[in-house]
Amino acid sequence: MPEAEVTLRVESATKRFGEFAAVEDLSFDVRAGRVFGFLGPNGAGKTTTIRMIVGITAPDEGAIRLFGESGTQHLQDRIGYLPEERGLYRKMKIVDQLRYFAALKDVPRAEADKRIDFWLGRMGLADWKLKRTTDLSKGMQQKVQFISTVLHDPDLLILDEPFSGLDPVNVEFMIDVLAEFRTKEKTIIFSTHLMETAERLCSDILLINKGKKVIGGSLRQVKEAYGKNTIALRSEGGDAALMDTALVSEVVEHSDEREIHLADGADAQVLLKRLIEAGAVISKFEQVEPSLNDIFVQQIGGAK
Amino acid sequence: MRKFLAVVRHEYRKVVMKWTFLLGTLLFPVLGLGFAVIPAFIFSLKGEPTRMVVVDRSGKIAPRLMANLSAESVQARMREAAQPAMKDISSTQDERMRRGAKQMSSSVLFVEYAAGGKSREQIRAELNLMAADNDIDAYLIVPDNAADPDARYEFLSRKAGDFVVSDMVKDALNEAVHSERLAEANIDETQLKAISQEVDLDTKSITQRGEEKDSESLFIASLVIGMMIYITLTIYGQVIMGAVVEEKETRIAEILFSSAKPMELMFGKLVGVGLAGLTQLGIWVISLTAIVGFLSVQSGTAEMLSGIPRVSPLMVVYFLLFFLVGYFIYASIFALIGASVTTPQEGGQLAFPAIMLLLVGFYFSFVVIRDPNSSMSFWVSIAPFFAPITMPVRILAETPPFWQILLALGLNLMAICGLVWLAARVYRVGMLMYGKRATIPEILRWVRQA
Repeated sequence: MPEAEVTLRVESATKRFGEFAAVEDLSFDVRAGRVFGFLGPNGAGKTTTIRMIVGITAPDEGAIRLFGESGTQHLQDRIGYLPEERGLYRKMKIVDQLRYFAALKDVPRAEADKRIDFWLGRMGLADWKLKRTTDLSKGMQQKVQFISTVLHDPDLLILDEPFSGLDPVNVEFMIDVLAEFRTKEKTIIFSTHLMETAERLCSDILLINKGKKVIGGSLRQVKEAYGKNTIALRSEGGDAALMDTALVSEVVEHSDEREIHLADGADAQVLLKRLIEAGAVISKFEQVEPSLNDIFVQQIGGAK
Repeated sequence: MRKFLAVVRHEYRKVVMKWTFLLGTLLFPVLGLGFAVIPAFIFSLKGEPTRMVVVDRSGKIAPRLMANLSAESVQARMREAAQPAMKDISSTQDERMRRGAKQMSSSVLFVEYAAGGKSREQIRAELNLMAADNDIDAYLIVPDNAADPDARYEFLSRKAGDFVVSDMVKDALNEAVHSERLAEANIDETQLKAISQEVDLDTKSITQRGEEKDSESLFIASLVIGMMIYITLTIYGQVIMGAVVEEKETRIAEILFSSAKPMELMFGKLVGVGLAGLTQLGIWVISLTAIVGFLSVQSGTAEMLSGIPRVSPLMVVYFLLFFLVGYFIYASIFALIGASVTTPQEGGQLAFPAIMLLLVGFYFSFVVIRDPNSSMSFWVSIAPFFAPITMPVRILAETPPFWQILLALGLNLMAICGLVWLAARVYRVGMLMYGKRATIPEILRWVRQA
């Protein structure tokens, strides 16, 4: 992959805390203009990796290249980082906090004021400009926090669990806002536990566990690599065919259909043929891609 | 640099824009002014005149007493009482109160009463009746043997609690009896006064350069300087700690660290809060000067002003330098504590040793005031942690040789470098460590890690 297309390249990064390796020999690329899902269970090393990308800590070994440069402080101004643990000054006016965060990203005051007004309006918080954090609801604080990460118009947006604490309406709203960013050819790295959301938003994913890479690539590649070994079946009779353990590893009963997990190396076409031979009346036979959730549970669950 | 200035500005505004800052800044001078002005004001209020009967069948005491209680002599005594009150802060509360009372003018109105031929009991009964009818407030019965040492005077008052009046009467009576005794013994009163005049022991200290200094006012001024530095360091050290803990507790640190260098953030915080401290100190110094000025005008003694040790501009520069040095020493200690705890409560507990260190420094300033040239004073005034309080006190008490000031500054600057370095490392790691308070071995690990 040519470097120009790569916003972020992590090369064999390792970070240790004493004996414990939080991240070990981790390598991946994040391409420009993509939404990159950074997934993993709690304690997998996501936050440590993100902190290295943002320049809060440095890797013990390996390198991190951002925008084609190796990690220097001034690149911080091109990153917008929304940490998982949110924080605002409790007793400070919203506008003052946003001004401060903008100043720390080197945004000139007049420009910052313009953008603050724009974003507060966009988020429906214009009336709260002079209020203090303690007067705001959790969801509102979340939105203010989001504004603080985009005020300097960053090229790379890193969002750690951006939807936690938001109601469904606001989740949809935030997804729309993020979609706008995507069309602007900005790169978004987005870390979450919510696989459905990740599946919906991300074009690329990386799943890590215990500090190491599990799978990664475009969503399509990952799913294809995982194979289409699940079949949604709605049929009458012919159940004998499903008893063959050389073909079927598991049958999960749902209300109106069954989920068939094929055995390793089994062919879906063979199963279909056997079902018809067994006299089954088939109204639905569909090869289903594994959901990200399935992949996550299998990979991580298996590892545990 | 721009980010550093943004941090400085932010921290400064955060302290100064708080109403507690405004309150603290204003309250201190207002309290000071209150202590200076209110007593003077209250004492200047004139109570209602006390209507008094003096029964003196000997006729020897009453005229003298009346003269002593005349408006002019009361005023003269007031002025006399006012003078030492300003200088002496070591007197007890009670003494000060009595002296204050003497400054209070209260007038006595003498009521005529014909006592001729009545018995003592009869007089008392009649006067008690008059008092009960609210015709008189008090009466004094002078015994016939007025000048004898064992003479018994009786003073009865409806306002027994009014120690102002009873003290005044007692003083005037004493004086009157005294004069009468002298007259009977044929001794000239003015001559005796001149002979028995108290020695005026004017305590001054001689500096090594042979200058004279007024040690009483020096003591007060040194104490004030020491106290002001101690108080400001304690307050602003804790402001720093609070600000650090808040950013850690609310997880703002994570955002800050993703925007600016930890060193910029910590140093910006120290400088911003320090400037706020200087603002407050500046307001205090100006208002203190104003109060002292007001007081000296109020008591009408220009002499007071000359009693205040002369502070040269160079001394002001020294005070400022040592205040800043002290501020950075203690602020970095408090920042370090703030970064290693998780809640303000924990911070309060851990801050105790640092506050003790400050307090010890403050106590050492007494050693310095008593003997600025002892070797003990030398050591405590150059020692890191103590010098920011003790050296300004010593400079005021008796300016030490320049090399000692320089040595103190140098040693303390070295301490600052070490502490800031240490605090910055703990800050870097500690600010992102949540969960529980760090132990000392953990903190040491952070220092090595950072």
